[in-house]
Amino acid sequence: MKMYYVDNGPHIKSSYNTSKMMVHLFIALLPIIIFSSYKNGFLPYFNGYGTIFAAFRPIILIIIGMLTSLSSEALFYYFVLKKKDKQELFSALRYSFAIFPGLFLALIIPVNTPFSILIVGCVFATIIGKMLFGGFGYNIFNPALIGALFIYSTYYSNIISNGGYLNKMEIDTIAHATPLTNLKSLNYINSYSNIVSSFGDLWDFFLGFIPGTMGETSVLLCLLGFMYLLITKVIKWRIPTIYIITVFVLTAFIGYYNNLGLWYPLFHIFSGGLMFGAIFMATDPVTSPTTSFGQVIYALCLGLLTVVFRFLTIYPEGVLTAILTLNMFVFIIDKIGATVRFNFKRGLISILVLLAAISIITLYIANTIGRTDEVDDKKFNIINIIYEDNKTIYTVTHKAYHGLIEAEVIINNDINEVIEINIIEQKEDVWSQIENNNYLTAIIDNQKKLDDLDTISGATFTSNSLKELVRKVLADYNKKR
Amino acid sequence: MKKHLFKGIFIENPIFVLLLGLCPVLAVTTSVENAIVMGLSVMFVLFFTNTIISIIKNIVPEQVRIPTYILIIATFVTIVELLLNAYTPIIYTTIGIYIPLIVVNCIVLGRAIGFASKEKVFNSLLDGLGFGIGFLIALIVLGGIREILGNNTITIIDNLSKLTNVEMIYQVLPKNNVFPMSVFRTPAGAFLSLGLLIGIINTIKINRRGNK
Repeated sequence: MKMYYVDNGPHIKSSYNTSKMMVHLFIALLPIIIFSSYKNGFLPYFNGYGTIFAAFRPIILIIIGMLTSLSSEALFYYFVLKKKDKQELFSALRYSFAIFPGLFLALIIPVNTPFSILIVGCVFATIIGKMLFGGFGYNIFNPALIGALFIYSTYYSNIISNGGYLNKMEIDTIAHATPLTNLKSLNYINSYSNIVSSFGDLWDFFLGFIPGTMGETSVLLCLLGFMYLLITKVIKWRIPTIYIITVFVLTAFIGYYNNLGLWYPLFHIFSGGLMFGAIFMATDPVTSPTTSFGQVIYALCLGLLTVVFRFLTIYPEGVLTAILTLNMFVFIIDKIGATVRFNFKRGLISILVLLAAISIITLYIANTIGRTDEVDDKKFNIINIIYEDNKTIYTVTHKAYHGLIEAEVIINNDINEVIEINIIEQKEDVWSQIENNNYLTAIIDNQKKLDDLDTISGATFTSNSLKELVRKVLADYNKKR
Repeated sequence: MKKHLFKGIFIENPIFVLLLGLCPVLAVTTSVENAIVMGLSVMFVLFFTNTIISIIKNIVPEQVRIPTYILIIATFVTIVELLLNAYTPIIYTTIGIYIPLIVVNCIVLGRAIGFASKEKVFNSLLDGLGFGIGFLIALIVLGGIREILGNNTITIIDNLSKLTNVEMIYQVLPKNNVFPMSVFRTPAGAFLSLGLLIGIINTIKINRRGNK
């Protein structure tokens, strides 16, 4: 007698599952990996900058990132979750896609990051950003962005002292900053030649031969990856399109309001991590909304927050913090999106409120940027300048946390640099921190790149006032020279 | 009787188990020295207020209980503040804001109203001492972790406080790229380290209970 096998449905399954999705994602990332290892590693070597070891640095960073996140997840499963059976461990790792946090993290950090810092960041991203929440499918935040946030907030000065964003060829041929840091130092509204031309023309921005982190400079390859993911129907296409269109429209409005041409919004969407973040990080299948209306709201909020963070805060790059902030609200957004068919009013009200907020904030930004110079001047006052043979002595005051700091800045005329800072009067309560960290000596040592000098945590306002004081004294001295 | 003393240290540690009064904890644990000073101040206040409140608990009418207790606590906190201001002015400028906050700290007020107003004098004394010791130990552990990870030193007595002329600042690891991690000196690192520590302690507790 034949035995029939009885089972519950579904009886016919498509061969499409999460593993295939991740394979397509990896294939879409391959051109970016190849290009970043070429541009940051082999191109400087072929042009004579750097050793053969430096040529392999990007590819080694990517491999270290993938291996670290894979092994830290395996160790977590072995020791903490007690999966000591080999079969159980391998099956858990197969469906956990452990290499992706490490791979993405290696693509969004500068090329000169020391290897130990990348390893610490990958362990942090995998364990605290993903495993402690419950593993794949349970995490709230994008783990690669958590790792990047940790690395930037903790080790920024270490990365800058190891070389920063620019590889050896870019330091010699291009300016000393990434395009967005340059934009911030020029106060956001300036001419085409100041903002764009120091790095090349817009075609260089599109191809990706500008300074930036490892994987996010090339717009062309990100768009190619986007096309591939669209064809294989893997990506949530509403999020990148609406995100990028929102940023384009908002920056175009800000640019036209201040009489800048079409190149200004193009500059904004081609520079920084916007393309890479919109296509690969914001569409992470676990941490982004699943409903289509929710994706629209998510992308609109992302565009608004990126513009706000780029223009109104001290950080030049807005994509990382915008995505992480909105990851917290995905639950509410999905709730609105899932019931919008029955509760049409709630969806309509949320869209209208969002559009109103976008318009008000954009008008505010367009009005207030580029005009902060007047307020800045009132904080700083020159009391006296004494000219001697080989040095100039400035006595100045600058607004600080409690009242004014009065200082005497001595500039050597032969080398045109500050050699001494004497504080005459200050009323700060955190002054012991400034003294303990020898901050005045650090300012004198770093006076040519004050933007890269970290402030002392716990005394940020005072540190910034001291930096601004020295910066304005130097500006005045160079003007009168 | 001994139960009252050890209760505050392990089973009902105010920071790791009851999660009370976390605001000053996160702010002062940037170095071990600040943590020790804050822990000793809270222990001082807890010890004396618990005893006195337990002594006078039968005389105070029901309606004016809480203002009376707060008055007593405020007296001792003022004593602590004046002492710190006089003998260790540098530490007073760093953690001075959180000393008056001990008056409304949940631990002090909670033990006063919840325990000392009902129990005998000696038990309240031991209870206050136990909670103070538990608070001090928790602060030292957290301050140690945050300072080792965030500053690569252990500062027990800093010369600047001028109380003694001893300086006990120990470097932990030689200079390298990974330590110090500056995020642990910020409030973000405080929350991170406190959360992970509570998680580890809870895991140990659950494992021990599972083994039994």
